Amino acid sequence: MEGETTSYPPIEPSTFDLIVVGTGLPESVVAAAASAAGETVLHLDTNPFYGAHYASLPLNDFVTFLQSHSQPSEVPEAESDDSIPLVTRSLYSSLEISSHSDEPLKNSRRFNIDLAGPRVFLCSDSMIDVILKTGINQYMEFKSVDTSFVGDVDGKLMSVPDSRSAIFKDRSLSIIEKNRLMKFFKLVQAHFSEENEEDRIPEEDLESPFVEFLTKIGLSQKLKSIILYAIVNASYDQDNIKSCKDVINTKSGISRLALHHSSVGRFPNANGAMIYPIYGQGEVPQAFCRRAAVKGCIYVLRMPVVCVLKDKEYGTYKGVKLVSGQRLFSSRLILAPSFTPLVPSTAQASKSHDAGHTDAKEKVARGICITNNSIRPEVSNCLVFFPPKSLYPEQIALVRAFQLSNNVAVCPPGMFVTYLSAMTIDAVEGKKLLTAAINALFSIPFSGNDGSRGIDNSSENIEVKPTLLWSALYMQELNKFQGALDSISNMVMPDEHLDYNHLLDAIERFFQEIYPGKEFLATSSQSNEHPNYADSELDS
Amino acid sequence: MASSGNKNINAKLVLLGDVGAGKSSLVLRFVKGQFIEFQESTIGAAFFSQTVALNEATVKFEIWDTAGQERYHSLAPMYYRGAAAAIIVYDITNQTSFDRAKKWVQELQAQGNPNMVMALAGNKSDMLDARQVAAEEAQSYARENSLFFMETSAKTANNVNDLFYEIAKRLPLMQPASNPSGMVLVDRPADKATGASCCS
Repeated sequence: MEGETTSYPPIEPSTFDLIVVGTGLPESVVAAAASAAGETVLHLDTNPFYGAHYASLPLNDFVTFLQSHSQPSEVPEAESDDSIPLVTRSLYSSLEISSHSDEPLKNSRRFNIDLAGPRVFLCSDSMIDVILKTGINQYMEFKSVDTSFVGDVDGKLMSVPDSRSAIFKDRSLSIIEKNRLMKFFKLVQAHFSEENEEDRIPEEDLESPFVEFLTKIGLSQKLKSIILYAIVNASYDQDNIKSCKDVINTKSGISRLALHHSSVGRFPNANGAMIYPIYGQGEVPQAFCRRAAVKGCIYVLRMPVVCVLKDKEYGTYKGVKLVSGQRLFSSRLILAPSFTPLVPSTAQASKSHDAGHTDAKEKVARGICITNNSIRPEVSNCLVFFPPKSLYPEQIALVRAFQLSNNVAVCPPGMFVTYLSAMTIDAVEGKKLLTAAINALFSIPFSGNDGSRGIDNSSENIEVKPTLLWSALYMQELNKFQGALDSISNMVMPDEHLDYNHLLDAIERFFQEIYPGKEFLATSSQSNEHPNYADSELDS
Repeated sequence: MASSGNKNINAKLVLLGDVGAGKSSLVLRFVKGQFIEFQESTIGAAFFSQTVALNEATVKFEIWDTAGQERYHSLAPMYYRGAAAAIIVYDITNQTSFDRAKKWVQELQAQGNPNMVMALAGNKSDMLDARQVAAEEAQSYARENSLFFMETSAKTANNVNDLFYEIAKRLPLMQPASNPSGMVLVDRPADKATGASCCS
């Protein structure tokens, strides 16, 4: 951030249909959808960058952002009875940074670190459909995720046989396992082909837990684990149905498997089912914002909103006051998840809410590791899944890890970035999960013994693990603030999932609620972006 | 990024400059040969392509317009990424727009693609009576900052094609890839291919 002191001209006009505060992905998608539906939209952000909680940032800026959102802002005095101050909620906690080398921070600007990693696109998921139909595919480039691994109890990483050809090539599976798995994939394919009614999986199986169905058809523990965690990405231990917070039923399990299979080969130049945008996730909100701008949305970064204006007579939402002093009006206001209007009654309500429910709230434990080498030689970008009980016997949640290399421009050459996440209800457990995965993947240099390589805990393991250079662990809140006034809505924090589908569903539902009957991101006709002269020739 | 292959070069070109300097008009003149007197601020179109044939190669420009995001200094990093060329536009009848153009040059230099070809265009050269920025002043500024300079008129088409032609000539033809390149997603290319063959 190069100390911008540019003073802006006043924003014109001063009245909009919609004002959006924060350029996170959900806010940006809604801004693009509302602009495309003909609404006049003003999109503001406090920060000098796009993306808010979905941004990709240089290493230093990443740390600063997490720190600044780890404590609630000072509660300002209400200036008058027709304004409500806007305060910042703390959405991150327990930030813990370990620096074993100063190389990463010295190269801070060469990193694009995702605040909400790990996350990937499945080639056939609905987010890719939206990217294609809005035409923002021309703003982004992608790379394939090379491969996926699943960690077993012995600390070994096995390749995930996620397609028929992968099963065929796999060397760790027995012939029986290969046949069963192949048969299962065919079963799922037949279910969705809708050719024969009798090929459909019976309704009672569809409603039953997926783990029971997989057992019923005779898949080994190893294969069940691969399907449940490396493909379906279940967050919690599915073998422990009683205590599992998120039991996957067969219906959703097989549709996720089908999505995975249809993703392989959707784009001829993609290697597997998954892709990742070059320069990081933060490109996605930028692309939607550019789309919104093309449709007339006005963009102003570095512009904090200080308070929300209320209609004196009716007590309803009227507009916002900017840090510049300018007052702007709109019929509706959408806020990034970190902002809340401090209405006196809700101030108390939210306090008691925090006190009462803190221990039961689910959070996402996130981690970022910068290493000097790849988890596997000759692999640049890969996923690693540590199913429940694979790291230690009491492990109840899946740990996801996603390694990225310099070929997606997120780090300098010779370094790798690995994102980790797991669901948890408290920070101690969350950190235990992430730390166990980090220990399984990397060797951690002894502090105070710089220069020498750390002692590898699993010395019988002949492979040399990558050395951890820098890491950050933090907890991210998931719960959403409930609106204080009609016409004001808060958007969602990045969820725990590896893909964008749940997020997009939530965004679309939200859009339909506030704009019933309007089309959510209509298909961009070629003529919109390339007004009928897309490819004219000119000879000089 | 300028990527060459078989003497076909794709080059991303970005436009920068003050609101009203004539960025969109220049593109419209170059791409479509049109001029609209009271052009509204850019909305609705922000991405064009146009090919320039040189003796030794064909350059396909992918031209990105600002989509109005420059108005409150809120261009996304995405805009600059991988740009092989930039045209900084100012209005010769408006001194402020020239001062702002210098700011855009600084910003580009900070964004740092050292191989980027930068052109400074003093637009509205047809409006000589209202001139506020001397051509000599702009020329010497351009020389100091290694830009190449031309005065243009989107209205009369003066120098517009020449500007793009000059940029094309200056693109390093065998530029080493300074940015990693990935795949651009295209919807169902296989389906389209079958569609085309069965229609022919």
